[in-house]
Amino acid sequence: MRQSFEYHPVIGYRFIPGLKARIPHEGGGYLIRVNDCGFRCERNFITEKKPGIRRVLLFGDSFTAGDGVSNKYRYGDLLEKKIPNLEVYNFGLPGAGTDQQYLAYKEYATGIKHDLLLIAVQVENIRRVAGHYRYWLNERGEQVCYAKPYYELVDGTLILRNVPPRKEPIHEADLSKEERKFIAVGRFPKLKKMVKLVTRVGLKDLAQKAIRYQLAPEYNSPDNPAWQIMRAILEEWINNNRQRVLLMPLPPYQYVEEMGDPSHYQARFREVASATGCMLHDPLPDLLKYSLEERRGFRFQKDVHLTPQGHAALATSLTPILEKLLDDLEQGVHK
Amino acid sequence: MSTTILGISAFYHDSAAAIIRDGEIIAAAQEERFSRKKHDPRFPHHAINYCLEEAFIESSELDAVVFYDNPLFTWDRVLKNCMMAGPRSFDQFKKASRSVLGIKMWVKDYIIRSIGSLGKLDKLLFTEHHMSHAASAFYPSPFQKAAIITLDGVGEWATTTIGLGTDNRIELFQEINYPHSLGLLYSAFTYYCGFKVNSGEYKLMGLAPYGEPIYYDAIRENLIDIKEDGSYNLNTEYFGYLDSSVMTNDKFNNLFGGSPRKPESYITRREMDMAASIQKTLEEVILRMALHTKKETGADNLVMAGGVALNCVANGKVLKKGIFDDFWIQPAASDAGGAVGAALLVSHAYFDIPRKINPNGRDTQRGSYLGPAYKPSEVVAFLGRKGYPYERIANPQQLAEKIAQVIADGKIVGYFAGRMEFGPRALGARSILGDPRRRETQSVMNLKIKFRESFRPFAPSVLAEDVSEFFEMESESPYMLLVAPVRKERCLPMNLRKFQEGDDNMSAVITQSRSDIPAVTHVDYSARVQTVHPSDKPDYYHVIKKFKDLTGYGIIVNTSFNVRGEPIVCSPQDAYRCFMRTEMDLLVLEDCLLWKEEQPAFEDTEDWRKTYELD
Repeated sequence: MRQSFEYHPVIGYRFIPGLKARIPHEGGGYLIRVNDCGFRCERNFITEKKPGIRRVLLFGDSFTAGDGVSNKYRYGDLLEKKIPNLEVYNFGLPGAGTDQQYLAYKEYATGIKHDLLLIAVQVENIRRVAGHYRYWLNERGEQVCYAKPYYELVDGTLILRNVPPRKEPIHEADLSKEERKFIAVGRFPKLKKMVKLVTRVGLKDLAQKAIRYQLAPEYNSPDNPAWQIMRAILEEWINNNRQRVLLMPLPPYQYVEEMGDPSHYQARFREVASATGCMLHDPLPDLLKYSLEERRGFRFQKDVHLTPQGHAALATSLTPILEKLLDDLEQGVHK
Repeated sequence: MSTTILGISAFYHDSAAAIIRDGEIIAAAQEERFSRKKHDPRFPHHAINYCLEEAFIESSELDAVVFYDNPLFTWDRVLKNCMMAGPRSFDQFKKASRSVLGIKMWVKDYIIRSIGSLGKLDKLLFTEHHMSHAASAFYPSPFQKAAIITLDGVGEWATTTIGLGTDNRIELFQEINYPHSLGLLYSAFTYYCGFKVNSGEYKLMGLAPYGEPIYYDAIRENLIDIKEDGSYNLNTEYFGYLDSSVMTNDKFNNLFGGSPRKPESYITRREMDMAASIQKTLEEVILRMALHTKKETGADNLVMAGGVALNCVANGKVLKKGIFDDFWIQPAASDAGGAVGAALLVSHAYFDIPRKINPNGRDTQRGSYLGPAYKPSEVVAFLGRKGYPYERIANPQQLAEKIAQVIADGKIVGYFAGRMEFGPRALGARSILGDPRRRETQSVMNLKIKFRESFRPFAPSVLAEDVSEFFEMESESPYMLLVAPVRKERCLPMNLRKFQEGDDNMSAVITQSRSDIPAVTHVDYSARVQTVHPSDKPDYYHVIKKFKDLTGYGIIVNTSFNVRGEPIVCSPQDAYRCFMRTEMDLLVLEDCLLWKEEQPAFEDTEDWRKTYELD
C-alpha cells in the first residue's frame, strides 16, 4: 500500500500533495485524491471566489476526510451536489485532534475567501487534544509513537507546544512517567486486552449498551482540563474567523446507536456556541430518526467510520441548515 | 461512456490483474510485486487494488469482471486424468481437488470479498485459458491479422493451440491437449536439473550453451514423437506429473543415468548437456510448428504467448528463419498475461469494442510499463519520513548525465523510475544497471548484488538505433524476448580447451572476456537484447544515450532490481531495502539519488535469505 502522509513541521503531517491512491478496506476499498495542498479534496484551494459561488471551509478528522469511502461519497462532497453553487473545501485530516485542525486552518485557510467555516468536531477528538503523542501503525503494521503539536492553557492563554514536532518515532520508554500520560490512546488503555476479547467474540456493542458506556467523560464537567483546552481552541478559532461559523459535533456510533448518553458533550458544545455566538448543528437527533438497523449501517462491520449511507444521512441532516444559513448570508441576515 | 473491464488470473502461478478501458490497456500487475512472494499464486487482492487505483474507478462502475480460465473444464481434466492414472494418482487428485474445488470454484466470492462488487454486469465472466493467452498475444500486437501460437504447461485441457487473429476476431483451430505438453516436458528437465519448476526454466535455457545436445536422440526416441507439422505426443510412461507430485519418474531417471540433481548442488556436465538437448528439441518443435502455422493461416505475421514463449533463444531462431515477416510476443507471456488477454477478449468479443491498431506501427502494450509509478513527492515523503540522505536533481538531462557517468565509472546503479514493468523482465523501470565493457561486471552483479548462480548471463539494453552495431539483428526487441548473436567483429576467442576436455568448472569459461561487451555476451556469443526506443521510455533512453556520449557505447547492462528469489521491487521502500542489502553503489529513486556510503546503518528486520525462497 502506498504511503499516504508526509511530515509537516507545524501540523505534524498531511496527505502527500497530489496523491491518488486506492486504499484496501473491508468496504471493498476506496479511492482517494489529494489536492496540491495535501488535503483530500477534489478541488485545489484558490484564494479568490468566483461570483455566484458559495464556499464552505470544512474542518474535521477522518470522519470528514472520509476514511473508508471514496471522495465522492463523503458528506462534504454530497453537500456540493445537494446545494446549488456550493463548493466545499475539505480540510479533513485523519487522526488529527481539533488542535491540529486549527493549525491546518492557520497554515492554509486564513487567506481563503469563504462564506462559512464548518468545524466538524468528532466527539472523541477531545482525547487527541489532550495528547502530546500518538501511536501510528508503520508499514509493517507495528505501533510507532510520534510526537504531535499540542496546546497548553496557561493563565487562560493557549500556548502552542511541540512545534515542529519531532520527525523520528519516540520510544515510550524514553518518555518520563509524567509525559507518558499524554500519549493519546483509547478510553481504557489498561483494559485493552479485555476490550479486544469482547470485540472478538462480538459482544462489544452489547457490553457498551449494558454499562451505558461513556465514551468521553472529559465532557462531564465544564472544568475538565481537556475540555478547557478544547473549548479555548474552539473559541479562539471561531472568534478569529471573520465569516460565520457552524459548529457541528459529530457523534460516534455509540451515541447514534444509543449505547451511551450524549447529554454531556451536547451541553458543552452548546456552551461554546452560546459564548461565541456561532451556529450549532447537532446532527444526532436527525440520525436517531432512522431505524436502529439503518443506523447500524452507518458504520462498517469492523471499522467505526461512516459508510456511504452514514455520510448520506449526515449530509441530509446538514443540507437544510447549511442551505438556509448560506441563503441568509447572501441576503445579509447574518453579518 | 467508456467500457472498463477487469481481468484476473490466479491460483496456478503468477497471479495478476489487468484493467482495460475501451480496448486500451490501462494497467496490469502481478500480485508477487506487492505481496513480495515470488510467483505468488494467491488471489491478486493487491494487483486488483492497484488496477482500480490506476483506472481510478469504483468496483461497482466496472462494466465486467473476467477470470482467465474455466475452472469447470479444469476440474474435468483433473477427474479424467485421475481416472486414467488409477489409484496411484490419489495424492495428486487430492491436491488438485483442493485447488480446483476449494479455491478456483469460488473466484466470484473472492472478488466480492476483495472489492465488494462484480461490476455492472453483476456476474463473473470466464474465458478459456489458451484463449486468454491468444488474446494477450494478438490484441496488443501491431498486426491487423496474425497467426497465433500459444504454448504452456497446461490450461484446462489444452497445452498448445494454433489459430488466427483478424481485427476483433480470434479463432483457435488446432490444439494439443494434456498430458502432451511442451511446457511440461521442458519443466520436467528443469526439475531434473535441480531447478524450480515454473521459475527455473529460464536458468535451464541459460545453461544450455555450456553443454552439448548429447541426449537429443534419447529424448526423440523415448520421450517425444514430433510430427512434421510440429504437433507432438509425449510418452507419458516417463513422466511423474500424471500421478505424483514430481515431474519425472524412475524410468526418466534411468534413461538419463540417475537421480535428479539436488537443488543448489554443483552443476555438472550432465545438466549442461541435458539443458542443451532439451533446448534443441524445443526449438525443433517450435520451428516446425511455425512453418505449419504459416502454411495453415497464410498470415504474414506471428504472435505468441504462454510460458514457453518466454524462451527467447527459440524465439530468436524463429525470427532468424524468416518464416514470418514479423512477429510479436506478449511480454507477460505466462499466466500473468492471461489477465490482460481475458479482459481484452471481453472488450473486443463480448462488448464489441473496435480494436485500435497503433498507427505508428508499434504495439499497444505501452512498453509493458503498466504497473504503479510513484511520484517524486511520494519518494521525497518516504525519504523524509525515514531521514535517508539524498540529492535531488530535477533536471532530467542532468540526472541522466549523472547516472551515465556513475555507470561509466564502473559503479552499479539501482534504477527506479516511472511505471513498473508487467511481465518477468525489468525494462529500465525497476532495473540494476552496469557497464557492459567491464569484464568484472558480470561476476560482481551475480555474486555481490544478485546473489545468484555465476553462470547466469546479463542482458543488454541498447539504443534502438544502435542495435545492429552490436548484434546481428535488425529488428526491435523492446521486451527482451529475443536472443541475437554479438557481431563477429566484436567477439574475442575463448580458451575452452579444459572445459571441452571435460572439466565441469564453468567459472573458467565465465571469467573469460568474450567480446568488447563481455558483461552481456553469453558463452555462445549471444545476448538477450532489449532495444530502447525514446518514445517507450525517454528517461531510460537518455541514460543510455548519455552513456554513449561518454564512452562511445550506446549499450548498458540491465538486470532486474531484486536479489535471487525476490520479486522485482515495486515501491520505493522495496527498492531501498534491496539497495541496502546488496553492494549497489547508487540508488536512483525517480529524481532522488542516494549514495550507499551516505546511508545510515541499515537495521534489517528480517533475514532475507530466509524470507525469499530460492528460485
